[in-house]
Amino acid sequence: MRVDVSNLSFGYDYRTVLKNISFSLESGDFLVVVGNNGSGKSTLVKCILGLNHVPDDKIFLDGREINRFRDWLSVGYVPQKLDDFNYEFPITVNEVMQASKFSKVTEEEKLGVLDRVGILELQNENINTLSGGQLQRVFIARALMNKPRLLILDEPTVAVDKKNVDRFYRFINALNEEGVTIILISHHLESSNANYSHVMYLQEGQAKMTSAFDIEAEGDA
Amino acid sequence: MEPVLMGFFRALIEREFMQYALVTGVLVGLLAPMIGSFVVIKRLSLIANALSHFSLGGLSIGLFFLNTLNLPIRDPLYIGIVFAVIGALLIEALRNYYRNYKEISMPIVISLGTALSALFISLAGGFNTEVYNYLFGSILTVSRNFVFIIIGATVVIMSLIFIFYKQIVIISFDEVHARLLGIRVNVFRVVSTVILGLVVGLSIETVGVLLVSSLMIIPVAAAMKVGRSFKSTLLIAVLFSEASVIFGLWLSFVFAFPSGATIVLFNILILVTIIGLKKFIFKRSLEEKQPETATE
Repeated sequence: MRVDVSNLSFGYDYRTVLKNISFSLESGDFLVVVGNNGSGKSTLVKCILGLNHVPDDKIFLDGREINRFRDWLSVGYVPQKLDDFNYEFPITVNEVMQASKFSKVTEEEKLGVLDRVGILELQNENINTLSGGQLQRVFIARALMNKPRLLILDEPTVAVDKKNVDRFYRFINALNEEGVTIILISHHLESSNANYSHVMYLQEGQAKMTSAFDIEAEGDA
Repeated sequence: MEPVLMGFFRALIEREFMQYALVTGVLVGLLAPMIGSFVVIKRLSLIANALSHFSLGGLSIGLFFLNTLNLPIRDPLYIGIVFAVIGALLIEALRNYYRNYKEISMPIVISLGTALSALFISLAGGFNTEVYNYLFGSILTVSRNFVFIIIGATVVIMSLIFIFYKQIVIISFDEVHARLLGIRVNVFRVVSTVILGLVVGLSIETVGVLLVSSLMIIPVAAAMKVGRSFKSTLLIAVLFSEASVIFGLWLSFVFAFPSGATIVLFNILILVTIIGLKKFIFKRSLEEKQPETATE
């Protein structure tokens, strides 16, 4: 999915969080957004997801103005904090997947997603018995349920151990190679094994965008 | 014991009022924990309490119309049901108004309902049997009309749950995710608020204003400790609720206990038993298993 952001400024009440952000991603691009706490990373994500209301003609998904965009099933999102979810009530991994399935996805495809994410054997487990890392994978699988063409991940490996972090990036890189546009929010660029094509540095709401090629050239010099 | 049981069954077959009571009890026993489950997931357990208090305000106004103004009102209960729905919408509006202190909405609505009740019960001639019945339920006096209303409401509400099951589950568990999937969360919220008010209003006849919330919450509280999946938890909650309605009705018939109180106490008995079993029996078996259940 193509993503175009032009001159986006956004704030809460009297505080401006994003200042004149502009960038474009082609289908199959992989953008890593890096920045400190409070730099506006999560706010930017919420704008792209339509959770923050932005003025017309600032964000376009596949060329469609975001306030008129309706194909939300093709956008997957893995939140940073999992506390939006109510855990204590019993619900199995499989039931979470079923409830999130809104496009034509066969049973085989659903099991395939669980398998790729590494939680196939957990499908009948109650989610309040899972570890942080396992839960994270449930949320990734849920985001993939409707075969998204844009996947947005907000610091997805915070609760995941080292071994599973590597596995996670192999999986995200593979998805990207299949043509899924990826936007990954990360605290540190170095710690990720992401095969990114672009990097955006967010600092106090302002963005500096570089391509992966530029960063490599800088490193070589 | 046998003649007592036979007496109950004979009354069920021969007496219309017993049949109405059983149908009403069984349907409320289905609706209350069904809606109650979603209320519990959203951590709004006190809402049923708030709504029933608010609907008592409506009931009192109904009694005032009937007894003092002699207006031709068939049954104040219908005004009570309308008030429960209004109360639900009021809570929703207040929750939006105090976004960071949403629970403030509950005491406001409870206070308004209780104050209206005190005022209009006094204007309607003070405390009497009718008021007592609204407070503690009078399932044995339900009218034929009310039975038809509750059958209709059950069909409509259960159909809505069946058709919009996925959407309701997602909104209950994770509202942000629901919005991302393009679900019109606000529309669902208003509709579910109205349904919640309706179910609270309809349940008053069974256990009374003061005990309505127990019918919605307690079976769910017990079921969520033993359910292994969402669907099994719903099913267990309904089974617990139906068991308490039927046994409660039977006990109240045999010993002339107040029906609402008996139903609720039976519910509590189930809850206490489940907690006890979990604490002493399941825990022991879990400890024995521990070495092999270690996960990452």
